[in-house]
Order: sequence, then C-alpha cells, then structure tokens
Amino acid sequence: MSVMTTQVFEQPAVIQPKQHGKPGGFLRHTSIFTGLAGGIVLAAITYMIGSKLVPWGTQNADFSQVGLNALIAATMFAWVIGFMAGIGAFAGPIRWALGHDLTHDDAEYMAGKDQGKFRYWKYTTDHKVVGTQYFVMVLVLLGVGGFLAMLIRTELGWTWGELFDPDFYNSIIGTHGIVMVVSLIIVVTGPLGNFIMPIMVGARDMAFPRLNALSFWLLFAAVPPLLATLFMGGIRDGWSVYQPLATQAGMGMVGYQVLIIVFAFSTGVASVNLITTAVTMRARGMNWSRVPIFVIGIIASSVMGLIWFPMYQYSQAFAMSDLVVNSSFYNPVAGGSVWLYENLFWLLAHPEVYVIVVPATAGILELMTVFLRKPLFSYKLAIAGFAGVVGISAIVWVHHMYMTGFAPQVGYPFMLSTELISIPFGFLVLVALGTMWRGKVWTRLPMMCVYAVIWDKVIGGITGVYLSDVPVDQYMHGSMFVVAHFHFMLMGAGLFGAMACISYWFPKMCGRMLNERIGSIGFWVAFFGFQLTFFSMFIAGLQGMPRRVLQFDNAFNVSNWVSTIGAYIIGIGMLIFLYAIITSWRGKTWAPANPWGAKTLEWQTSTPVPLENFPVLPVVTSDPYGYGVPDPYDAIEQELAKDDNELKVPQ
Amino acid sequence: MSIITPPETDQPEEPTNRAMPTHRLKEYFSRPYVRRILIMAVIIMAGVIALGWVVVGFMNTTGAPASDIMVELEQTVLIFTIASAPLIAITLSIIFYSLTGWKHSSGDEPPMQDSPAIRTNPVAVIAWIAATSLLAGFLVVWGLIELATITSNAYGSTSANQQPTDVKQIDINVTGQQWVWSFEYPDQQGITSDTLVVPVNTPLYFNATSVDVIHDFWIVELGVKIDVNPGAITNTGVTPTKLGTFNIRCAELCGLHHAYMETKIEVVTQEQFDAWVRDKGGMKTA
Repeated sequence: MSVMTTQVFEQPAVIQPKQHGKPGGFLRHTSIFTGLAGGIVLAAITYMIGSKLVPWGTQNADFSQVGLNALIAATMFAWVIGFMAGIGAFAGPIRWALGHDLTHDDAEYMAGKDQGKFRYWKYTTDHKVVGTQYFVMVLVLLGVGGFLAMLIRTELGWTWGELFDPDFYNSIIGTHGIVMVVSLIIVVTGPLGNFIMPIMVGARDMAFPRLNALSFWLLFAAVPPLLATLFMGGIRDGWSVYQPLATQAGMGMVGYQVLIIVFAFSTGVASVNLITTAVTMRARGMNWSRVPIFVIGIIASSVMGLIWFPMYQYSQAFAMSDLVVNSSFYNPVAGGSVWLYENLFWLLAHPEVYVIVVPATAGILELMTVFLRKPLFSYKLAIAGFAGVVGISAIVWVHHMYMTGFAPQVGYPFMLSTELISIPFGFLVLVALGTMWRGKVWTRLPMMCVYAVIWDKVIGGITGVYLSDVPVDQYMHGSMFVVAHFHFMLMGAGLFGAMACISYWFPKMCGRMLNERIGSIGFWVAFFGFQLTFFSMFIAGLQGMPRRVLQFDNAFNVSNWVSTIGAYIIGIGMLIFLYAIITSWRGKTWAPANPWGAKTLEWQTSTPVPLENFPVLPVVTSDPYGYGVPDPYDAIEQELAKDDNELKVPQ
Repeated sequence: MSIITPPETDQPEEPTNRAMPTHRLKEYFSRPYVRRILIMAVIIMAGVIALGWVVVGFMNTTGAPASDIMVELEQTVLIFTIASAPLIAITLSIIFYSLTGWKHSSGDEPPMQDSPAIRTNPVAVIAWIAATSLLAGFLVVWGLIELATITSNAYGSTSANQQPTDVKQIDINVTGQQWVWSFEYPDQQGITSDTLVVPVNTPLYFNATSVDVIHDFWIVELGVKIDVNPGAITNTGVTPTKLGTFNIRCAELCGLHHAYMETKIEVVTQEQFDAWVRDKGGMKTA
C-alpha cells in the first residue's frame, strides 16, 4: 500500500433509531462479574431441582449412573446459559425483538467507548478488545495445557514406579490433549484474526461485532466445565475419547462433551464473522489480487472450521445422548457402531490439524516478506496451496483409522488423498523458499522463528510420509512415533508459528515492542528442548513404545529420560517467553506505529489503534508486497542476451 | 477510415529476445550461491538417506524383522526416505543458506536496502510442482503395491476371495478384554492360552474381537497390528520367519491398566509347537 490516497465519500442520510435511555441500556450494568453470578445461580438452581428429580445413585437397568450424568450435563449447560445471560449476551436480540434498535451511541458504548480498562471485562464488541481477550485466554489455556504436559513427562520420566494413579494419569493425558487442541485452534485466529485481520483489510470493525463478542464469551463459558472434569473423574480416554471406553468415564466425559458442543458454536460464529469480514469489508481497491496472504490463511482456516466443526459437535452430542439418556449410537451391544464415532470424530479432527497449521503458515509467509524485504514469491501459488489444502483436507480423515480393521481396500483411496495433500502443502513450502531466495535477512525474533518453523515442518513432513502409508502405519500407528510426529506439526509448526506471528504483531496489539533479547532466549531454549523431547520420542516409538501408557519396558527408559529433560527445558523456555510478553506489555515505552517498515494496512494506522481503526478509510492501489530493488542479475542476463543477439547477426 | 501507423522512431530496435536457454542455465550454475546450495544439498541428502537406516536400526532393536511383512515394511521406510531425500535436502539447504549465506542486517531499524524483487519464477514453480507431484505419485504407487503384497501376506493362505488355498494354516481367535489378551486355537481342539505360541514359517490367521472396549493387537517385531473392536471380528495374519520371543502390546488406550496389557509371542519349531499343544491337552493336527 505504498500509495495511499484519502477520499471522503458522500454518505446518504439514514434515518437513525430513537435513543431509549442512556447509551448501552442494560449492558451498562453487566460485566464478567454479573456473568459469573448469573452462571453460578442458574447452575445451582438447576442442580437443586435436578437432584430432587434424579437423586444420587439413580441407576438404570445396566447399573450405569445415567441420572447423575443427566444432572451434571444439565448443570453445566445451565452454567453456560446463565453466564451468557448474566454478561448480557441476550440483551441485543431481546432489544431487537422489542423493536428497540441500537443507535449509534449504543453501538459505540458496546464497542467500549470511554470505559477505560474495564471494557476488557465486559461484553465488548470492539474487535481489538475481543482480540486481546482471546490473547489472554489463549495464554492461560496454553499454561494449563503446558503444566499438564509437564505432569505427563514427569510420570514418564519416573521409570521406577507409578507416580500418579493410573486414572489420574489417563485424565491428564486427555485434558492436556483437548486443552492444547482448543488453544492451538484459537491461538492465531483468535488474537490475530480478530485484532489484526479487520485492520489489515481496512475495515472499521468486524462484520458482526456482537457475534464477535459472543464467540469469545462462549469459549470463556465452556472452559470451566472442561477444567471441572479434572475433579469429576476426568477425561480418561485421550482427547479422541473413543467409544465405548468413554462411557466408562462417567461424568468426567460430560464436561468434555459440553465443552465441545459449546466450543463448536463459538468456532462457527467466529468463522462466519471472519469470513464475512474478509470477503465483504475490504478497503476500496483491495481486490482479490491485493489481499495480504495472512487474510487468505484466516479465510481458509475459518472455512474448514465452519464446515467440519459440526461433525465434531454431532459426534459429542450423540455421545452425550448415549451417556445421558442411554441411547445407543455407539454401543455395539445395542446395535450401535464404534466406527460411526471414529468417522464422525476424525471428520473434524483431521481438518482441525489444518485449522491450526494454515493460519500460522499464512502468518509466517506474511512476515517473511517484511524481514526479507522481498515481495512474496508467487502469490498465486500460495493461494492455490491454501485452496488445495482446504479442498483435500475434507477427504483424508480415514488415515487415522487405517488399523481399525476395515477391508484393506478402504485404505487405497485415503492413502491416495493423504499423499495428494502434500502437493498443495508443498506449494506453500516453495513460496517460503522462493521468498527466502537471495533475500537479505533482517534477523529479528519473528523471522528467526520462521526458520525454526520450517525446520519443524520438514521433520513433521518426512515422518508424515511414513505414517501416510498403510503398511508402515501397521508398525507405527498408536506408537510414540505418532505422538512425536503430530507434536512436530502442531507444536513445531503451529505453536512456534503462532509465536512468530505474536512477536511480529505484538507492537500493534499491545502497543509495545516485545523484548527482543528475552523473547529470543525463551524461544530458542524452548526450541532446543523441543528437539530433544520429540527426537527421543521418535526413537521410543520406533523401538515399539505404544502411546498413552504409564509404564513401559526398560528398553525405553533412556529415551524417556531424555524426553522428560527436554520437556522441562521447553517449560523453562516457554516461561521465559511468557515473562518477555508480560514485562514488555507492562512497559512504559510505546512502540512506533510501523516499527518493521511493513506495507500492510494495519501498520499504517497509529498505535494504539483508535476505536474505529482509521480516521479516514484507506484506498488501496497496489498489493502489499511492493518491497525490493531490481535484480542485479537481470543486468547480467541483458548482457548475455546482447551476446546472443550479436551471434545471431548474419555476417 | 483511419489508418494506424506505427510511431516512427529513429532508434534502433531494442533487443527483446532473452538469452538462449543454455547460456542462461550455464550462467545460472556459475553463480556462487547456486553452487554452494547444491553442494550443501548433496551433503544433506546423503545424511537424510543415512537416516533411513538409522530409523530401521531403531525398529530392529528388539529382534525385528521377524516376518516377511516386517521386512517389506522396513524396505518401504528405506525407499520412502530415499525418495523424499532430494526435496528435503533442497529445502533444508535453502533455509540454512538463507541463515548463513546471503547477507544479514540486524538492529532495531528496518534495513535501508531491500532485496531483489523476485515476484515469481515460472521455471522454479513448474519444476517444483512436477517434482512434488512425481514424489507423491511414486509414494502412492509404491504404497498401493506394498499394501496389496502385505494384504496377501497378512491373509496368509487365504486368497483375496476368502477361498482357502493351503490347508497348512493356523487360525487363532484373539480376544482382548480389559486388560488381558487371550488366544484360542480352534484347529487344535480349542485350547486356550494367554501367551501366543506359534510354529515358525506357518501362516497364522487371526480372528480378533473384544468383549468390552477397543483394543489394538500389536505384535511389535512381526509388524502386525489390528484394532480389536467390540461387536465385530477383524482379521489379519502373518507368517513368522524367525524363532524367538517377541512382544505383543495394546496400542489403543483402553482404560486404567492399558500400559500393562501386554504379553509375549513365542515362535517355536513345529515339533516344539506340537509338544506344547499336547501339553495343553490338544491333539496334533496335520
């Protein structure tokens, strides 16, 4: 956006709705505190009424505690509804139903105008507030998941006996898995998709600001039921909670199902919002060949989330129905099928990997251009790559089920599609390599993360080649090798990519520069520990160690010790990185508006970003990758061409 | 009617045609960074290929390969490593060279000078797409052939249309339950055992099922793995080719004592097997 012209457009007069009372109305009185009160009160009422109807110990014919599960499920849903009511999520629809349309003042109040820091504790519609809320939320979730990972590694490194009760160990495995999956799904699209993306496309806010607040607070409301499961028997079945094992876990599973059902609503709402914003609210002149690649990545990720999250929701709704009203979708004894669950689950759970990796990849492609001072290599190929990944991601899910014992012929088409998806993903690798080609690197933390991410992707890629093959999967399925492989993809590419993006956009989001030195130390310590942990986990897997075990043969001792040491190093590195984020955020020196000299729109507005982002909406006249100088080698080519022409002159 | 006349210039015509491809290629490979990256790529490629044997070495630490399936499977690992080595080598050498070779700038201010504005390069794009597609195509074709071979091995003497072609096959009913394995030999008067004892070089055919939750029957060193589902019978098979005692583990989380759900497979000679069957109370079969 090297050339930005400012124009004022004539606005036709619109009849404004009448102002009822003070701006904001009911929402003036609501905040997270009224939300907590509402949730607790409604949950308590539901629990009391429910426990009268189905007292503790109510059993059905096969002695399962059906009544209790129903009670817990009702209480948890009551918490979610009460919380959302208390925070004022229903105020908008109710006002609308009563015919009190929002005035401009109401909308501005809801966007947090003149409310200072307290707006972060309210049902605020400003996309920058929502982005920041997501950022803090994701840091908390990653902290919880990381702590559970440390517990897992402590148990596995303690090879002299059981440190934890096996039930507790199984439940920390499951909780670590689902907490990390949720936080990685939102780690880029939550903070950056909400905060940065609308500014990047030159919009004043998201397309549906109230849905934006809804998506965040639904997620917020869904987390307590999940964490409560740790005290209610836990999620003892891994994050994939295969049936019928899950029915044995009892009420712990209810928390998981409530989380997924509510989180799927949150994701759907957020996806619709992000897609609509990117498609319809771009600045004048930003046609589809001028959209920053990060926006394309956000669209791709949201499309996958929007299409496939309902599958996950159905799978858990059926599971809850099995648990609560004793239906038998998955119970083979009563005519159900365990394979139905596996199919429904993996229909989301594989695209979910791309939901995590795609926005992080798009983010690093975006920031590479800035730190290499080069245009993005082959922009169209990058778009083709994202489109291909979105398309093929729909038809690869069965590669998680190669060993379920279906007819061997079923494996053929899915082996094909799994290998095929490496082609569009390869496009993105070429875009990254081409952008690096002959670029002079500006060695700042975000760019250095990019190298780490590409390294991890290569390792994840080559191990993925083995796993995509049915015969080899016959050895590696369900072993520690798989665990190490997907950690390379989800953590090595997803989380480290998110760290690159966060450190790149930190000056715009938080108004201060991320401390380069402390941040780098944290990142590289974590990266080193990561390699140590997961390379030795590859070895354990190759030697034949199954995943999700508590004890194992002595043959795996050494690699598990190394893994545990590496995991602690990751933990230390992540804490240092968190320290860098917190101290930088609390610092007093404000970052310049455009510290990296970048050309996308979000860097052209002031820091901190004003309420409606731009004083005057920008007009875009070129794509955002106008970096670079003429290629010196072109001169040599000209010389060569001249020589050739001389040769061609007839003598 | 107007006649469009070309603008008259007294300049000589610009040389518009590009250099000849061979000249351009020669010039390209004379650039120092191209040469260095290629050398680096060759070294890395050798390393990656060597890594294939390291991977197989780790797979062999407890006595594998003990069956034809495992041999095929390790061969696939090697072939896949070799096939993907060139692309991995190119990728890694470019990121290493980007870190170490081309110039750097540091400091808080954005660098003054930009890098060359390379928007795209059709040759590179086409070559890359062709290379990755060829690689993916090769992996698919190899994988399908391998899968067909393994399937025919796994189903032992039973051909794809489920018609027995060879009588010398031992059926074994595998039952998983929380948290033990049990094995029944229907051909040997239904004797049961909690360790698997089988004769060497005889096709085994497993009918696997579970009484409670999903388990996964994994004979580690023989490269056999199949989910054990409640309410369904899943089949697989293998021919052990090596005498010895190997591990059977459960590879699907199945609850409290999943970690301890393991047993042994003893591959013995036919005579030892017959003796074992007699001890167990079964009769010698043909």
